[in-house]
Amino acid sequence: MLLRRLLPLPLLLVVASVVAFALPRLVGGDTDSVVRAVLRARVASATPDPQVEAAVAAQFGLDGPVVGQYLRWLGAVLRGDLGLGYVTRTPVAAQLGDALAVSGLLAGCALLLAAATGIPAGVYAARRPGGLLDRVLSAVGIAGVSVPEFVLAPWLVLVAAVWLGVLPALGWGGPQHLVLPALTLAAYPAALAAQLVRAETIDVLARDHVRLARAKGLSEGRVLWRHAARLGCVSVTALSGMFVAGLLGGSVVVEVVFGIPGAGRLMYDAVLARDLPVVQAGTLVIVAVAVVAGIVVEVVALLADPVARDREAAR
Amino acid sequence: MGRRLPGVVLAAVAVAALAAGCAGAGSAGGADPDGEITVGLQFPPRAAYAFEADDGARLQSLGVAETLTTVDDQARPAPGLATSWEQTADPRTWRFVLRPGVTFHDGTPLTPDAVVTALGYVAGVTAPPRAIRDIGFSVAADGADAVLITTAAPDPIMPMRMSSGNLGILAPTAYSGGGQPQVLRTGTGPYVLDTVNGTDSAVLLRNDAYWGPKAGAARVTVRYLPDPQTRALGLQSGDLQFAEGLPGAAVEQVRSAGADVAEYPAARTVELLMSQSTLFGDVRLRQAVTAAIDRPTLAAQVLAGAAAPASELFGAAVPWGATTPPPGADLARAKALLAEAGHGPDRPLTARLWTFPNRPEMPVLATAIGSMLEQAGIRVELTVGDYAAQEPDLLAGRFDLFLNSRSYLSDYADAASTLTSDYTCGGSYNLEHYCSPAYDALIQRLAETSDTAQRQALFAEAARLLTTDAVGVMVVHPRNTAGSRGVTGFVPDPLGVRPILPSLTRSAT
Repeated sequence: MLLRRLLPLPLLLVVASVVAFALPRLVGGDTDSVVRAVLRARVASATPDPQVEAAVAAQFGLDGPVVGQYLRWLGAVLRGDLGLGYVTRTPVAAQLGDALAVSGLLAGCALLLAAATGIPAGVYAARRPGGLLDRVLSAVGIAGVSVPEFVLAPWLVLVAAVWLGVLPALGWGGPQHLVLPALTLAAYPAALAAQLVRAETIDVLARDHVRLARAKGLSEGRVLWRHAARLGCVSVTALSGMFVAGLLGGSVVVEVVFGIPGAGRLMYDAVLARDLPVVQAGTLVIVAVAVVAGIVVEVVALLADPVARDREAAR
Repeated sequence: MGRRLPGVVLAAVAVAALAAGCAGAGSAGGADPDGEITVGLQFPPRAAYAFEADDGARLQSLGVAETLTTVDDQARPAPGLATSWEQTADPRTWRFVLRPGVTFHDGTPLTPDAVVTALGYVAGVTAPPRAIRDIGFSVAADGADAVLITTAAPDPIMPMRMSSGNLGILAPTAYSGGGQPQVLRTGTGPYVLDTVNGTDSAVLLRNDAYWGPKAGAARVTVRYLPDPQTRALGLQSGDLQFAEGLPGAAVEQVRSAGADVAEYPAARTVELLMSQSTLFGDVRLRQAVTAAIDRPTLAAQVLAGAAAPASELFGAAVPWGATTPPPGADLARAKALLAEAGHGPDRPLTARLWTFPNRPEMPVLATAIGSMLEQAGIRVELTVGDYAAQEPDLLAGRFDLFLNSRSYLSDYADAASTLTSDYTCGGSYNLEHYCSPAYDALIQRLAETSDTAQRQALFAEAARLLTTDAVGVMVVHPRNTAGSRGVTGFVPDPLGVRPILPSLTRSAT
C-alpha cells in the first residue's frame, strides 16, 4: 500500500527539481541578474565589474548555459552532494538537516496540540448542535481559521511574553520556546479539525449502530467516544498528512516572527540572500519529505478506517 | 465531560509552571560587568563574515575584528591597531606603527608579518573591497613594529582607508587553511567570536586580554532577526536587551515598556535619480521635479518621522552635512518650469518611475512622490521591481526616474568614493549620466588634499554644486533607531563604521 503510493515520487521529484532550479532564475529576471545579485552579497561593491562577475559565476557554478547548470546540479544531487551554501559556505545537507529537525519538532508539537484541542472540541460541540457550547466553539473555530499567523503570533507574544511575562518572545532551545510558536501553528488545524469532527460526529450519532448502542444502555460518554468520535476522526487523520507537509516547509511566518532556526526561516534567509544552493536543495528536500510524510500519514489513516481499508484492498 | 476538567486544569497548571521557570529578569539597577546580554540585529551575515564582502563591517561593529585605524566623532582618522602613521619620503608609501602589546584571540601577538598576511589576503581575493581596489595596493613589514603600505600613485587618505571594516586584521592562523579566513577566535577586539550558528545567531565572549577598555558584558548572544516587529517585541518582553532597526510605529510602545530608544541620523540618502540621457537632460525639467516634491511632508507624514527631509546629498550623519531643511513643494514654480520646457496640459510630461522593494519604505515613498508629481502635471508610470534585473538599464541610463537608497560613506568616513563613482563624467555608478567639467575639477582636487578638514569642505562644496545643477532630488536621510533595555552605555554611531556592542553593559538586577 505504502510502496504503491511512493511510486510516483521520483517523477514528482524531477518536476520539483526543475521548478526549484528555475524559480530563483525566473524571479531574478535572467542568469546575469542572478549572478549580479549573488555577487552583491559576496563582494563589497555597487559597481559591476564583468571580470569579477565572470570569476564569481565560475566559482559558484553559474557560468555556461542554464541547461548545463541544471544538469550539473542535478548530477551532484543524485550523488548526494547538495553543495555548499553561498552564505555560510557550509554543506547545504547539514543546514537542511538541522533546520528540518527543528521544523519537524515544531510541526509535531503543533499537530499534537491541534489534535488534543480540536478533536475534543468537535466531539463536545456535536453533542448538542446549536447549543451554547457548540456556538462558542464555532465562534472560536472561525477565529482560528480566519486569523492569519502574522497577526496571531505577535498577539500571543504581546499577551504571554510582554504583558504577562511568562513565556519568551523569541528564540529556540528549551521547551518554553515551543509554546507560543506551537500555539500559533496549531490554531488553524485545531479549528479545522474541530469543524470536521463536529460535522462527522453529528452524522455518525444519527446512524443505526449508535442508536443500537444507546438502546443497549451504554452511557452517553461511551456512545460518544467509543462509537461516534472514533469514526468522526477518520477524515481528520487523513487531513493531518496535508498539515504535516505544509508545516515542514511552510511555517515561514512563525519561524521568522519567533526567530526559530527551522526550515522556513532557512529558506526565507536563503531567498533574500540569493543563496541558490540552499533554495534549490531546500525546495527539493522539503517537497520530498513533505510528500513522504503525507503519504505515510495517509496510509496510517487508511489503516485506522476499516471501510476505507477494505476499499483500498479491493483495488 | 466532568471527568476531563481536572486534566484541563492540570494542563493549565503545567503550562503556568513551565512558564514560571522561564520568567524574565528583574528590574534594572547598577552596572553588572559580568552580565550577559542578548541583542537583536537587523541584517544577518550574507557571506559567512567574509572580509571582502560587506560582512567585514559586521565583524567590526560586533567588536571582534579591528583595523589599523578607526575614526573619531569628527570623522577624522584615529588610532586603532596602529598608533601613528606618516607619509614617507616616497609619497606613494605610508608607514603605520603598530600598537605594542596587542594579542590575537588565539594568544599570538600582533606583528608586522601578521598584518601583511591579513591585508595581503584581502588584496588578493577575486574582487578586493572598494577601499583598496584599483589603487595598486601592496603591504610590507618594516622592522619589528611597523608596516609600509604602498600604492601606485600618492594616496592622500590611506589612514582613512585603513579604517574600513573590510580591512580587519585576523591572526595568521585564520589564513592558514586556504579559502575564506577562519573568523572564530582569531580577532583582536574586545569580544571573541566564539560560536556562529549560520545566519541565526552568534555568541561573543569578553576578551579579558584586550588592550583597551574591556567590553561591558561577559557574554553576548547575537540574534539575527530580520523581522522588525520581532525585535521590538523581544525588547519589550525582555528577551533582548538591545535591538537595532525598530519599526517607527513601535517606538512609543517600546519606550512605554521601559526601554530607551535612540534615534540618530544614518549616512544614507534616498535620492530620486533623473536620467539625463532620456527625459531629464533639460535642467528646467529637473528643477520642476525638484520643486514639485514636498520633502518635509514625505519625511514627516509618509515616513512618520523615520527620516529627515534632505536638502543636499549629505545629511546630519557627517560633520560636513547640511542640516537646513529643504523648502516644501512649489507647484506654481514646477508648472512654470514645465511650461518653459514646452510641457503643459496639452503636452504633459510622462515619466517612468522605478524603484525596488528591498527597503520597505521605497515603494511607499515612490507612490507618494508619483502623486506629488501628478499634482504638478507630470504623469508617472510607477514600477516596483527587482534591482538586479533593473541594473543593466540603470547603468545604461535607460530610465527616467529611479528612486534609490544609497549609503554615501560606503566603507570609511570619506565621501570621495561616492562623489566620484556617482557623479563624475566617467563615474562607474553615474546612473544619471551627469557630466560637469566644473564638478569634475572640484573632485579632482580631492586627489591632492590630505587634510581632513579641507576634504570635508570640498565634500560640502560638491554637494552644493549637485544641488545647484539639480542632479537628482535628495529626498530624505533615513534615521536609525536602536533600543536598549536593561543595559546602559549605547553610543550611537551615525557614521556606521565603529563597534556598537562593546560599550553595552548589563544593568545589575
